[in-house]
Amino acid sequence: MLKKLYSTFCSLNLGLWLMTGVMATLALGSFSRASSESGGLNEMPLLFWLQRAPLGYSWWLWLCVACIAVLFVNALVCSIDALRRKGRSIAPHLMHAGFLLIILAHLLSAYGGFKQQFQLPQGDSFGFPDGERVVVERITGQVGPMGMMSGYRADLRLKDGVHGVQPNRPLFHQGYGIYIKDVALSPVPVALFEVHREPGALTAFIGALLFTVGNLMLLAQRKGR
Amino acid sequence: MKWLLITSALLYVASVRRPIFVAALGCSLAYLASRGLALGRLPLIGPQDTLAFFSGALGLMALPFVYSRQIAGVRWFSWGCGALAALFAALALPFPTINMPLPPILDTYWFELHVALAFFAYGLFGIAALLGVAFLRGGGRQALDLQYRAALVGYSFFSLSMVSGGIWGYYAWGTYWLWTAKELWTSILWMFYSLYLHLRLKGQAWDRGFAWLGIIGFFVTLFTYLGVSLLMRSSHSF
Repeated sequence: MLKKLYSTFCSLNLGLWLMTGVMATLALGSFSRASSESGGLNEMPLLFWLQRAPLGYSWWLWLCVACIAVLFVNALVCSIDALRRKGRSIAPHLMHAGFLLIILAHLLSAYGGFKQQFQLPQGDSFGFPDGERVVVERITGQVGPMGMMSGYRADLRLKDGVHGVQPNRPLFHQGYGIYIKDVALSPVPVALFEVHREPGALTAFIGALLFTVGNLMLLAQRKGR
Repeated sequence: MKWLLITSALLYVASVRRPIFVAALGCSLAYLASRGLALGRLPLIGPQDTLAFFSGALGLMALPFVYSRQIAGVRWFSWGCGALAALFAALALPFPTINMPLPPILDTYWFELHVALAFFAYGLFGIAALLGVAFLRGGGRQALDLQYRAALVGYSFFSLSMVSGGIWGYYAWGTYWLWTAKELWTSILWMFYSLYLHLRLKGQAWDRGFAWLGIIGFFVTLFTYLGVSLLMRSSHSF
């Protein structure tokens, strides 16, 4: 029984079918209202959304998650099986390990992610769960030649001093990232902030590194063949 | 400098001989360099610049294959690569150029790396499709081996593009992943070539299927790039 289960999960054919399943469900989902900007899927952690969304709206994502879960086991068992045999290159298995970590990262973010927006004028503040306040000390911006904002920044006062946030330069504090999304300078300077928590980010990054190392090793091995 | 793009398209169409292909590529790269110098950044915003960049990337990635001895017997291959690059250069022409400075959120090397690597990958997937046609038309096993190499290198570029996109997204938006049509199709494309590379393990009995998959992959690529950007609303729309 266990042997049969092992050989089923070791099967290349199973992997190919699961990949096809993931592609088909994602393709169907891309035409669904759920994946549009108004679908709410990006506004909350995935698992919360899945619990709340009607099945008629989220069925493709349930199927996709099911395919990915089995694909996770399939990739894991295949790598373990191949590594037990001597003389095999570890490159594809580093890529598998990277893929597995990235799936794990998505799971961590799907469970423990957080996102909230604040629109605050200069001088206003918002709070962290432990009660610490973040005061918006100063909002500045530059208007480009075409009338669009070419750059903007906010200075935020925290317990440990004043820190600047700019587009692509968030402020990380207490496991949260504080992002500045937009700024209006008149009639009073106002900024739109987003506070994010992405618990899977580090795991995803390590997964991406492993995948890239494995990929480069594979390219080097295939060179000239 | 649009005449450089027009010249490159015309030369690509006429690239029955390899030196003409190289001249076409030279014009294409000179056009992209002139746009880059005028803008002070890589020309990667809007349909005109991205189509021209795609054409240039396709020509550049095709160069080692055009000069490969393994495909020397397939006389139309150089012209095929040229015709494909010419098609995207021609498609770029009707669109206006967008000369605005980069919005602050796009003003990072991660964005440029993300987009440039994606186009190198798209170019290689196009070349892999042509090599699939070459194999199905009797080009021999060498065409299929080259197809595998083109797809593998393209897959590597594409994976790096996804990684750099994730890093950019994390610093720009607070998340390395968004549920939008573009991200879904990007994942589909990545999964498609993962499946393609795994299918090779099934051996020579699957050679024709393998070649066909390399051709279909380019249509998935085109839908991911053009279809999603033009037909669906997402953060990547033109």
